[in-house]
Amino acid sequence: MKRRDFLKASTAGLAGSLVGGVGLLSWTPRAHASTIEKTFYITDGMVTQGDGKDIYFRGYSSNSSGLNVPGEHLIVQQGDQVEITIHNTLGSSHSFVIDGISDETVNSGRISGGSSTTVSFTADNVGTYVYYDNRNAPYNRIAGLHGGIAVMPVNSDDELYPGSPTFVQQQFWIFNQTDPDWNDAVRNGDTPDSNFTPRYFTLNGLSGRPPGAPGSGDPAIDSMHDPRSALHGHVGDRTLVRMINVGLAQHAVHTHGNHMEWLTSDGDIRPVWEKDIVPLNGNNGIADIIFPFDTPPDSWPPADVGTYPMHLHDEMTQTAGGGLYMFGSLTDIFFE
Amino acid sequence: MGMRNRTVSSDSSDSTSTSSGGMDGGGMGGMGHACYIYTAINNPPALDPNPDVEYYRSIDMGIPLTMDDGKTINMWGFADSAGGGMGGMGGGSATFPSAPMRVRQGQVVQTHFSVSMMMAHTIHHHGIEPEYRSDGVGHISWDVSGQQYTYQWRPAHAGTYFYHCHTNTVLHAEMGMYGALIVDPPDGPGRVFEDGPSYDLEAIWAVDEIDSSWHDLDWAAGTCGGDVGLNELNPDYFVITGVDGAQSALTAPGIAVTMNRNDRLLVRYICAGYMPQTINFGGLTAEVVSSDGRPLPESYTTGSIDAVSAERYDCIIQPSSRGVYTVEIDIRDWITGDVLGTARTRITVN
Repeated sequence: MKRRDFLKASTAGLAGSLVGGVGLLSWTPRAHASTIEKTFYITDGMVTQGDGKDIYFRGYSSNSSGLNVPGEHLIVQQGDQVEITIHNTLGSSHSFVIDGISDETVNSGRISGGSSTTVSFTADNVGTYVYYDNRNAPYNRIAGLHGGIAVMPVNSDDELYPGSPTFVQQQFWIFNQTDPDWNDAVRNGDTPDSNFTPRYFTLNGLSGRPPGAPGSGDPAIDSMHDPRSALHGHVGDRTLVRMINVGLAQHAVHTHGNHMEWLTSDGDIRPVWEKDIVPLNGNNGIADIIFPFDTPPDSWPPADVGTYPMHLHDEMTQTAGGGLYMFGSLTDIFFE
Repeated sequence: MGMRNRTVSSDSSDSTSTSSGGMDGGGMGGMGHACYIYTAINNPPALDPNPDVEYYRSIDMGIPLTMDDGKTINMWGFADSAGGGMGGMGGGSATFPSAPMRVRQGQVVQTHFSVSMMMAHTIHHHGIEPEYRSDGVGHISWDVSGQQYTYQWRPAHAGTYFYHCHTNTVLHAEMGMYGALIVDPPDGPGRVFEDGPSYDLEAIWAVDEIDSSWHDLDWAAGTCGGDVGLNELNPDYFVITGVDGAQSALTAPGIAVTMNRNDRLLVRYICAGYMPQTINFGGLTAEVVSSDGRPLPESYTTGSIDAVSAERYDCIIQPSSRGVYTVEIDIRDWITGDVLGTARTRITVN
């Protein structure tokens, strides 16, 4: 299966077949609400950064022996009953929280080390949300305990909210910044006592590897080729991107090739502006955009095929360990 | 398309290694200090034989910028090398910011760019969305080194843009390698965009912060690894269109504005730094009509605008009262939101 076909299938075509099982929790429009079940394991481990340094992270992982940072992206439908079971395999206490997704409070409360709990709620409100650990905030969240969850409108496969501009495919961009001293403190059960000085910058948990660098082109290492992050489309393949910033720094998201249609900011529906820069606040800031995959408007002669970057324009984010330009938070956009 | 047949340029024997050693810095460096720079130009696009506008740009790595406290900081920039004489050597004398480009919607534009073989740079016309080989992004097409390369584009939307270097961008844009890029509607200046609001006079305010501790770095600093501090920007100067915003920008010609009551001033505000900014119009009301080169679906009026890196806002100010208005731009820390510094200029209404 070509990557593009895979992407489409993974976001729209797998129906409810994986509900309650392992793997991506998928979604397809339904006339009636369902019960959606998902199990996470809070685990930890080391993740090698672009400069070769191993940094400690915790995550909501899909199995007890792995480490997912961020946790898997989830898509449900408005009205669904969602039941999330969390097994905490660590010795430390954690939680599972989603703000705004439900008319009920979605907060597991304390999940002690070695214990499990199930969080149940109705997905009342369409849109893009963060699931995260609000204990020892913001340290546990920044150390990896976060993920994205989307609520689709009932019986709609192409809208962010009823009546929104439409799309044909969707994905998440979750941005984070990492200060190794903070993650070390979390690992040791301490509260960080230094100013937040991020040295690594990620998109969906990965960072860039420019051509020629070790790991370049490996979708498990290189955010430019991670199918969760890279955009692939032909002209007309309008792509909804649900952007979340779990870190602390405010970002300026910049696409080349096309302006973005800026639909929401921190949960508020906006007048739709066409922007080549969209601000993304820190501390669980959210913005939804559509990358339209129009013919790049200033190409001469007009050209429909080519590759362009998405990167953050707060350019410190394009580095790793104080150097290594382009080993930071970026991906590529493929006009195919 | 893919990124096959690419060449990683480096004089070192292992061009793909990520050395853990630091830069040894000094001088302009050489290609031996650079990693992940892509200088092989494969299959460049055909050029229109009859462009409407041509720009010539080369490199100047020694632009002294004297600040209000008497200190001089070295800046980099693009020299306007029209008239020739620079050949492929890429030398020239530039200002900070670099010379503006100003074209009309629908014109075919060629930017001819020369760089010496001692370094690599690109020109990315920010907000302009050309064919990928004219986009000036090294890892996707190529960096320019030791030759002249021509970018071709045809702007479809009037508005405010800027151009900047996209090689080791974190450093090169901070060092000042940018200039304003204005696209006028087909009939020329006087309206922000076709059938859009009119204006009588305009100001271009590119507001930027400078961390002087970065300004002794080599053009390729950090590219091969090692901690050269490019994750941390600690600005100590704040400028408006290349003029110190501490004092000088309050009165600098071309930045400070003197206008008549009821005239319509167009402010083209460019957030040219990396940190978030808030521009406050000093008690005047601005009608925000477009952003990032696109008309807003509905304009709105405001006394201040929050912006993040590389955003542009086009604002019409039509004062009805005489007075002296101090415009203040607060540059904020991207993590704490604390004000790191403030740049100021003035609008005097007669």
